[in-house]
Amino acid sequence: MDGILEFLRNAGATEQAIGVSVGGLVGVFATMAFFFIMIVVADRFGKH
Amino acid sequence: MRQKALYDALIILCCPSYAGYIRGMQDVFIGFTSITWKMLVMYGIGGVLIWLAIKKQYEPMLLLPIGFGAILVNLPLAIAWEHEGVPGFLRILYDAGIANELFPLLIFIAVGAMIDFGPLFRNPLMIFFGAAAQFGIFATMIIATLLGFDLKTAASIGIIGAADGPTAIYVATKFARDYLAPISVAAYSYMSLVPLIQPPVIRLLTTKEERRIHMPLHEKQSPQWLKILFPILVTMTAGIVAPISVPLVGSLMFGNLIRESGVVERLSQTAQNELAYLVTLLLGITIGGSMSAEKFLNWDTILILAMGLVAFIFDTAGGVLFAKFFNLFLPRDRKINPMIGACGISAFPMSARVIQRMANEEERGNIILMQAIGANVSGQLGSIIAGGLVLALVPLLVK
Repeated sequence: MDGILEFLRNAGATEQAIGVSVGGLVGVFATMAFFFIMIVVADRFGKH
Repeated sequence: MRQKALYDALIILCCPSYAGYIRGMQDVFIGFTSITWKMLVMYGIGGVLIWLAIKKQYEPMLLLPIGFGAILVNLPLAIAWEHEGVPGFLRILYDAGIANELFPLLIFIAVGAMIDFGPLFRNPLMIFFGAAAQFGIFATMIIATLLGFDLKTAASIGIIGAADGPTAIYVATKFARDYLAPISVAAYSYMSLVPLIQPPVIRLLTTKEERRIHMPLHEKQSPQWLKILFPILVTMTAGIVAPISVPLVGSLMFGNLIRESGVVERLSQTAQNELAYLVTLLLGITIGGSMSAEKFLNWDTILILAMGLVAFIFDTAGGVLFAKFFNLFLPRDRKINPMIGACGISAFPMSARVIQRMANEEERGNIILMQAIGANVSGQLGSIIAGGLVLALVPLLVK
């Protein structure tokens, strides 16, 4: 992880933007997936 | 000619009252003599924004004050902004509400109080469209760097694709304060143009058959405790994943908690009405007040406005294509109408209305509004999560 960050710090703006984009999209999907699981579990829990 | 100048100089020296007269006349006409062609252009831009607000009803609550603020700040001497070192009322509002990010956060409390996550709880799968439709943010950020903007400015431009004015203002204030005005104007203008931007992109990426897909309506009601717990858990999650996003997420979810708690109805109504209107009024005129000709009239502004449109197009495309991808794994009778994917942008509830209208045009009686609203509220959530992640990730790479 540190290696990737170090590489991106020394890279050009476009490479950095691609890095932020990958990280951002993965982060948004992961966070939303967590909320999805939360809602589904709560729904199941609510039925019992 | 030189003799005349010498004569005037002698008169001024010998007769102070005449000198005062000359200075007085200069003061009287200073308004006329200070006008530049750039100011005239800004009056035109302000006029167009006011015209769009009144005649076309495009986001009138914001474009009207922004347009007037743009005229106000470009009047000779810019007294409304600052005069002889003394801040004018626009500058005071800017320092009090934009420079410290207060106004966007207050707007978020109001927006949170307006959002009902019920349709999302009934169709939890819709939450992924709120993530997919953030694609435009990141695609535009990459394009902006290719056009020569530095990473922080590019990130602020990309955030126009959040289709969320307060998030765009918040991120721009942190990363690219000089571009705050064009970014805000682009964000709000394109949000109002969603009914014009989205349909052609959706038609381009979907077949008529896909647009006619029916979706079953889930009638189940979500438990009240889930509605109360959700804003608290979302805030805590955001605080752990991207601590810098807490002001954004926290204020939105605080507004939502007020709404869903059911015990502070007056506070909820105040947030949805008085607070929303008052802050919108102040935010609009202050954003307009930051549109001075020197800052606004340049090539970068044109690029930012163009990229704002690109961001909205990529958002829509990202959502629609993700829905089509999703359909590859779903049984025939449970396919998702791919138009729903376009509702993953944060322009709430306009995008959901546009999609429902399109569904009805394709096949009369096809009701997908509830699913569309579910995707649309998840877009609100997705946009602030994306904004928070951008705020967290960019400083890791650049100081």
